[in-house]
Amino acid sequence: MSETIDARGLSCPEPVLLTLEAIKKSGSAEIEILVDTDTSKENVMRAAQSMGWQILEVNEESSGYKIKIGKE
Amino acid sequence: MKFFKNLFKNEKKEASADRGILIFENTSEVIKAENILKKHGFNVKVVGPPAHIRKGCDLAIEFLIVEAMGVLNALESRDIEPLEFLPSLGGNLKPVDLFHVKDYGNFLMVRAANMKITIQKSTLTIVNISGGGCPDVPYLAAELVGKRLDNAPEPRQLGHTLCGYALQLAYDKIKQLCLQS
Repeated sequence: MSETIDARGLSCPEPVLLTLEAIKKSGSAEIEILVDTDTSKENVMRAAQSMGWQILEVNEESSGYKIKIGKE
Repeated sequence: MKFFKNLFKNEKKEASADRGILIFENTSEVIKAENILKKHGFNVKVVGPPAHIRKGCDLAIEFLIVEAMGVLNALESRDIEPLEFLPSLGGNLKPVDLFHVKDYGNFLMVRAANMKITIQKSTLTIVNISGGGCPDVPYLAAELVGKRLDNAPEPRQLGHTLCGYALQLAYDKIKQLCLQS
């Protein structure tokens, strides 16, 4: 069961900070992050990769993007 | 003796409060002017100009009004002419503070003009670079995110735009806040 972080409506760096907190605290091997701008998408992906996580999927949705990350 | 001490103290205080700003046509002129004036030993600072007097540039130079002639002469000698010289910062001509610092608990963000840098406080690792909208921002972020503040390259060595310049100011400020001994 993956955890979901809803960071839509938040401006940088908050989506990144929520993602990093989730990476730190989550016991899940996968986390889904919802964002609503291209900038937040890029920043979240970059932060996750810098923490050694992989980008598993990026889906464009009507309300933005759903990014799925997983432990390498 | 005390009288003289107080006299000089008051003069210093008055001078530091009395500042003016120079508005330039474009950012590269602001950067050039700052370098020239600092080399000449003037006490100048890059600031965001008040919104209602912006002339298409997000940055301006603040200087001590007592040094106005020297500042203008130094710039003239290098063929740099400000668009406007505002000798008084009283009332609504107060410049916008260039820096904004926000503490998120485990993280600290510094914004300078249009650029933000965020670090994790416990590790001093840069976790986010954002803002701007210039073409080199993704590159700057890719080069800096994940690196420790004391081990990261300076944005001025990597960037080519106003965003790179603003990021350097934010980077200097966050280093000043976090790496003070």
